[in-house]
Amino acid sequence: MKHFTKMALAATVAAGLCTSAAADIYAPNLSYRTGPFAATGIPLMNGQKDYFTMINERDGGIGGVKIEFDECETGYSTEKGVECYEKTKGRAVVTQPWSTGITLQVLPKTNVDMIPILAPGYGFSPMADGKVFQWAFNAPGSYWDAASMILKFISQDNLDNLKGKKIAFLHLDHPFGKEPLPFLEAKAAQHGFELLPIPVGLKEMQNQSAQWLQIRRERPDYVIMWGWGAMNAGAITEAVKTKFPMENFIGTWWSGHDADLKIVGEDGKGYKSISFSRPMLDAAIQADIKKYVVDAGKSQSNPEEMSGVFYNRGLVISMILAEGIKAAQDHFKVGEINAEQLRWGLENLNVTEERLAELGMTGMVAPFKTSCSDHTGHSGGWVLEWDGKAFVEASDHLTPDSASIQPLEVEKAAEYAAANAPWPINEECK
Amino acid sequence: MLHDIFIAPFQDMFSAPDFLLQVLWEGLVSGILYALIALGFVLIFRSSRIFNFAQGIMVVFAALTLVGLHAMGVPAWICVLLTLGVMFVLAMAIERVVLRPLVGQPDIILFMATIGITLFLIGFGEIIFGGENKVMITEELGIPTGSWTLEPFGGLLILEQKDVTAVVVAALLVIGLLVFLSRTQMGRAIRALGDDSQAALSVGISLHTIWVLVWFIAGIIALVTGIAWGARAGVSFALEVIAYKALPVLMLGGLESIAGAIIGGLMIGLLEKLFEIYWGQPLMGGNTETWFAFVLALLVLLFRPQGLFGEKIIERV
Repeated sequence: MKHFTKMALAATVAAGLCTSAAADIYAPNLSYRTGPFAATGIPLMNGQKDYFTMINERDGGIGGVKIEFDECETGYSTEKGVECYEKTKGRAVVTQPWSTGITLQVLPKTNVDMIPILAPGYGFSPMADGKVFQWAFNAPGSYWDAASMILKFISQDNLDNLKGKKIAFLHLDHPFGKEPLPFLEAKAAQHGFELLPIPVGLKEMQNQSAQWLQIRRERPDYVIMWGWGAMNAGAITEAVKTKFPMENFIGTWWSGHDADLKIVGEDGKGYKSISFSRPMLDAAIQADIKKYVVDAGKSQSNPEEMSGVFYNRGLVISMILAEGIKAAQDHFKVGEINAEQLRWGLENLNVTEERLAELGMTGMVAPFKTSCSDHTGHSGGWVLEWDGKAFVEASDHLTPDSASIQPLEVEKAAEYAAANAPWPINEECK
Repeated sequence: MLHDIFIAPFQDMFSAPDFLLQVLWEGLVSGILYALIALGFVLIFRSSRIFNFAQGIMVVFAALTLVGLHAMGVPAWICVLLTLGVMFVLAMAIERVVLRPLVGQPDIILFMATIGITLFLIGFGEIIFGGENKVMITEELGIPTGSWTLEPFGGLLILEQKDVTAVVVAALLVIGLLVFLSRTQMGRAIRALGDDSQAALSVGISLHTIWVLVWFIAGIIALVTGIAWGARAGVSFALEVIAYKALPVLMLGGLESIAGAIIGGLMIGLLEKLFEIYWGQPLMGGNTETWFAFVLALLVLLFRPQGLFGEKIIERV
């Protein structure tokens, strides 16, 4: 009897292990909840996690298969990020590097390991060229999209209006911060405005007095910020201190975090940030998040954070992954998809107004579609403005200047492939 | 090129003296805060030969404790007292749990122990306070948040009142520490331990008491530094990296010299700002502050390995 009990127990445990291994899709997130970038990372990671918790609790996963949304802490360190990638790649159907530096490091590896990189709104902009970067996706928008929309906004949709103007480009001295430079430099040459790059070192994020003294001396017409982590709050407080006109200060979508602006409150009024997502607090998904995640005590977030831009962007980012998984399941008629199948799913995303309505996310992101040649989708976005208490919408829907971005993407992707030859190209994609 | 290096920067300085004053002011503010952090290192090193790697995270921990307590509804100045209490308990715990069992071990072991303290405080702090950026309770502490706009030479000079407060408080703290070290029995005991630990122990100075005291003083310095930096850009774990700016100050001023920490801090604050604005930005694309202080310190070490104010080490073989 004792022997039988042991065997039964072993069989139960084995069955349990097999069931959990077979029933889950492993989707790790290379997150950072610690270190100098934690303040901006945490709300995004919370939004992403809560979305999949809701999907698992409400729907039993996607296509009946639960999503194992695991986190590996990188602290925004490229070295740790690569370690996390190596640690998780065995079972992962996707890698979400959460840093342009980590993305650039794992980009060549994913060709060999055949794991799609999902970097929504970040990473290397030429990843849009799906023929060259078969395994990399940055939908719904790239950094060049963001830079293009910012220039369109400040020039009232005519970049020739910027002729003779001076634009300071305050950026983190890191691959992320330098990413839009090729596009901005090309536009400056084309439309006759002066671009003044001002780097901020990682150790100087909270002490930007030198950078803002330069801004005071150079008197730029606009300051465009590519900041992240503690750099955003540091820049905004210095802008207030030097009395730079906030209405001429605009950041990328990672420089629009409510908590950073709360430090300056009313003094930050007029500061703007481009955004590919909008917090829609009356969207149907919010009720489901509350019911299945918050009320069930499964969220690490709080009401204040949940009303902010970054938490809601986290929801959108996980929705993109979930839609990729669903597309792959529907196409391959299999629940437990593998990485290669997810690659197909991410390459065939079709997030329409109708689909967003079904998901209860109307207005949270603009519709977009990916293809084998377009891994970005170029959804466009909106300008959000700080009103002293929260970010509010300050523009209609904007679209990037794809006509000028696309040739640059192709050119830089080809340069990258040549520099990293032999680099596999998807010849089947026309 | 020679004109850009040797002439143009000085022409810029003289053509816009108000801007030069602003640069010097910003350098002074940074410098006095670097000096303050460096003092925390020096005090501990003098009394125990420990290079305290945890000084940076102590800044974060003190600031987070302050804003965390306030978020619980405790009045601001009571929060300051309670935070000081927490830093005292931390000092006692470090002495009792970490340092005392390691007495007599090589310096490198004690240094490694402070790395352990850093990692513990990072993890503990994140569990208790979370990693989000928090607003420093500047106004609640009565620190003015406005600015004075002056017009020297017909130009513009902006003095943030919280920066002025930070400079005044830091200067008072430095003076207070100097008085404490030179005029009080405990202060003299700290210095005695630094000068000759065996002789100090033989006349009855308690090593354990002094260690608790210097770690507590380092905690006070951490709190003041945390308030000053936190008032500028919020309180988050990013504050920890500010402490690393004190490393070249120590290389420059010497690990054992209180005067060296103060003068080294001010020198680096002022020189790195002047270099960045008048040479770094026009000639090198900026962001020279990340390396300038280290290069300066290395140059000093080439000629004075003990730093500007450190004691010359003579070893007889």
